[in-house]
Amino acid sequence: MSRIRLLRTTTFRTALAYACLYSLLSAAAMVFIYWSTASYIEAQVDERLRLETNVLLARYQSQALPALTEAIRQRSREDGPRSLFFYLLLGLDQEPLAGHFTRWPGGLEQDFATLRFDQLFPRAPPGLSGTDPVRVLATPLPGGYRLLVGRDLNEQHRLLEHTLVLAGSVTVATFLLALGGSLWLGSRTLRRIDAVSRTAHEIMAGDLSRRLPVTDRDDEFDQLGRELNAMLERIEQLMAGLRQVSDNIAHDLRSPLSRLRNRLEITLLEARHESAYRTELEQAIRDADELLKTFAALLSIAQAEAGVSREPLAPVELAGLVEDMADLYGAAAEEQGIEFHWQVQAVPPVAGNRRLLAQALANLLDNAVKYTPPGGAIALTLGMRDSRVELSVADTGPGIPEADRERVLERFVRLDSARSTAGSGLGLSLVRAVARLHQAELRLEDNYPGLRVVLSFASAH
Amino acid sequence: MRILVIEDDRQAAAYLVKGLSESGHVVDAAHDGDEGLQLALATPYDALVVDRMLPRRDGLSVIAALRAAGVDTPILILSALGEVDDRVEGLRRGGDDYLVKPYAFSELQARLEALARRTRPEQQQTLLRVADLELDCLKRKVTRAGQNIPLQPREFRLLEYLMRHAGQVVTRTMLLEHVWDYHFDPQTNVVDVHISRLRAKIDKDFSPPLLHTVRGAGYSLHVPD
Repeated sequence: MSRIRLLRTTTFRTALAYACLYSLLSAAAMVFIYWSTASYIEAQVDERLRLETNVLLARYQSQALPALTEAIRQRSREDGPRSLFFYLLLGLDQEPLAGHFTRWPGGLEQDFATLRFDQLFPRAPPGLSGTDPVRVLATPLPGGYRLLVGRDLNEQHRLLEHTLVLAGSVTVATFLLALGGSLWLGSRTLRRIDAVSRTAHEIMAGDLSRRLPVTDRDDEFDQLGRELNAMLERIEQLMAGLRQVSDNIAHDLRSPLSRLRNRLEITLLEARHESAYRTELEQAIRDADELLKTFAALLSIAQAEAGVSREPLAPVELAGLVEDMADLYGAAAEEQGIEFHWQVQAVPPVAGNRRLLAQALANLLDNAVKYTPPGGAIALTLGMRDSRVELSVADTGPGIPEADRERVLERFVRLDSARSTAGSGLGLSLVRAVARLHQAELRLEDNYPGLRVVLSFASAH
Repeated sequence: MRILVIEDDRQAAAYLVKGLSESGHVVDAAHDGDEGLQLALATPYDALVVDRMLPRRDGLSVIAALRAAGVDTPILILSALGEVDDRVEGLRRGGDDYLVKPYAFSELQARLEALARRTRPEQQQTLLRVADLELDCLKRKVTRAGQNIPLQPREFRLLEYLMRHAGQVVTRTMLLEHVWDYHFDPQTNVVDVHISRLRAKIDKDFSPPLLHTVRGAGYSLHVPD
């Protein structure tokens, strides 16, 4: 199975195609080398045959036939000086006068030819076989005699055979090496792909903490791996955020839901008159409404905390938002005898979510209106400080003791001093979540007297 | 009014049918997108209530099909998805208003009546009149019994919205959405304060009172019976 997969990899196929191409090229080169070597050797042999023939021819012309015959006899003697040549001198009656060869090859008059020994001897000379090749040059002598000079081609042919074997071996070796290389490259690719796919399977099986292997080779797989790992990192973060959201909501809604259930149960046990049922039912609807409000607030907090809101952050003009909120809440404050001041400086836009920012600011103003006694004052300001955009809501209410300032940001935390007023204990939690979503700093400060809440944003550019 | 409710949750549908029937409407119900679309195409309704997530054909697709067929019946979308972009998408696809589940029945009723009574010419109407109260949108001028009443810009928009929906109940969230353009839930009664200021200007020195509080629901501008 894995072998078939290996053969299917792109790397293997590409490498194999190149292997075939290079083997072919190499074979062509070898054929060319063989062919030119063979021609060269033939030319060399022919040249020597011509020289030897010329030497004998010169002797014949200067000293006539007997000298030639003697020379050939001498050269042909087995115990004579080792000659590389074979000879045959043919008389006028076609009878051999001297030389090794015993018969004249049929049809040959005056030319080079490549023959077999058994065409020239009844029996091959020692160390040679009848089928061994021999190159001959036939030359007619003036006066009707004919001369044949031959040279054994065995050595040359062995050289050529050797070249051929070498060429073949090189070609086959090239192909095998290239094939091996392709397999190696293919399996290397496959191993890395397999590692990625194993990790992917583990991730799909639920282990989001797994990461793709990245080596220090820094090749294209590593680059891809790093990109995918960054993506997995983000997905894991978002999933963790979502899980946190659902956990928190489940936890935070369980107690008010059981309160509602208890109330209905007790009503069933205790109430006797229709009017009593009606009162309890109305109360239950109010409880349910509160629950829904809490649910909506928790959802907003959770979304802001997880940063998974589907609304992307876009430039928000805080000045307009502050103006709207001042208009909305100013009246409510003045109605309760609270002075309301607001001040807006020109500030650059911040990257944000308008709805969540409005909800956060509304929560701060809700608190301010709720806790500031008549005769007090609320100040809403927007301005720049140290090149950051600062939004602040200050009141002259009871404030929050320094020790509690961190704690009040937790969900459902209400200070004892606030027990008598209505509220869910989620307002500041949402503000904190919105601040985090916007990477804004949230500060709770003393307003001497009262509370001053500051949201400090980095400007959008 | 004749109203079609397309809602797959049968219990929720029954609750809507019962509530709307008791308010004097004739109500039909469909439980999936295809059935709803057939009914809405075959019968002239005054308003549709369409759940966003429906079997067979989702709510937005029903709305798009109706609009493509030239049906311009006002449509109120119900949805468990509350994000602003869901709302925007719902309205872009042809819905007229968007209500997030869970909702109070009074809120649904108020929005539905506001939708059904909304007629195109009224949008263009520039001179609004309820009894002797007059609002001129072009001159940005309000008079009652011929007497000029100076209003802040926001008070003007508030009154304009109330007058365009005279005789109907408008809820606090409807006012927050249309007059202030915010979709959030204030803990304090910020809208009430603005209403009472407006009331002080248009009702205090005149008779009869026109701006009424509807307990448990919102406000209504009308001549008392």
